[in-house]
Amino acid sequence: MVKVRKSTGSYGIIAQALHWLVAALVLAQLGIGLYAANLPVSLARLQWLSHHKSLGLFILALVLLRLGWRALNPPPKLPGSMPHWERRAALATHRLFYLLLILAPLAGWLYASAAGLSVNWFDLFQVPDLVSKDRQLAELFKALHIGLVALLASLVAVHAGAALRHGLVLRDGVMHRMLPWKPRSED
Amino acid sequence: MPPFVALLFVSAALPAAADQCYSVDPAGGSVSFELKQAGSPFRGVFRRFGGELCVAQGKVERIDVWLEPASVDTGLPEIDAALKAKEFFDVANHPRIMFASESVQARGDRQVARGTLDVKGKRRNADVPFRLGESGGKPVVSGSFMLDRLDYGIGTGEWSDTRWLGAEVKVEFSAGLSRR
Repeated sequence: MVKVRKSTGSYGIIAQALHWLVAALVLAQLGIGLYAANLPVSLARLQWLSHHKSLGLFILALVLLRLGWRALNPPPKLPGSMPHWERRAALATHRLFYLLLILAPLAGWLYASAAGLSVNWFDLFQVPDLVSKDRQLAELFKALHIGLVALLASLVAVHAGAALRHGLVLRDGVMHRMLPWKPRSED
Repeated sequence: MPPFVALLFVSAALPAAADQCYSVDPAGGSVSFELKQAGSPFRGVFRRFGGELCVAQGKVERIDVWLEPASVDTGLPEIDAALKAKEFFDVANHPRIMFASESVQARGDRQVARGTLDVKGKRRNADVPFRLGESGGKPVVSGSFMLDRLDYGIGTGEWSDTRWLGAEVKVEFSAGLSRR
């Protein structure tokens, strides 16, 4: 049975949907950003960066929604077999994840604002600028955006590695809390 | 506004009001443009410009102005470089954008210079409304007008896609006038 809210052992379907949607969008976003940043000034670059900015703000909104949902629906407990340091590491990684998922798009938004390249969200509405146009500030926010994104990408690798260790090596059900299906052994 | 008031206004702005020409002073002045990129307003300025404004019998009689598109400044060096290239201003072959009035008409406290705008060798009729004011005892000319960048070949090839780069450009200018 599909659980809208969390069952005892697993994340609920909403938390799972938000997790995988954000995961897919963040990966797409990393690809688009890297690709577009290396294009020469061109229509393609303008188009891709425009999509990148709209998508980034969408991710930011989704992450805030996730945090709200998480506050109302605390995540399922980790198995007692997990060592103390691993629990601490998981908690720290998840907190840093949320922090970066908010700060990276925010730095991008600040960068776009300071560069004078404001965002019209998917051509639907004008997004307000956070700061006025300033070339020095733009350079600063650009470096900040790239730095935060590099951290976020590293964290994705750590997170995916840890999840796969739980799912394939330890087989302790931790990874399956975020999967909509159950492992065979638990059927 | 009754004509005599308009005359007073012009007289105040141009204390001499005698038949004479003034040069457009770029120091403290500005020429800026605004158009839409990906649906959002995008602005830039031109740093080098100049020209001449002549008065006869208390009326502006002639305006001849120019600007150097190579002095474009959007705050983004990469974009500035692209704007100087062939697809936009082609500054290597067309170092100056020029406007020369053919007639000047008064409309209330505003005046309109009708003339020819020459960008990249494309000459089009243009109406440029302006007003004369005063700042620090010095006459100041200012105004704004819209143009269609495609009329002048500003942004050719892929850049003629107006969904991503708007066709309408708002140009604003303001500059002091020095007696010559």
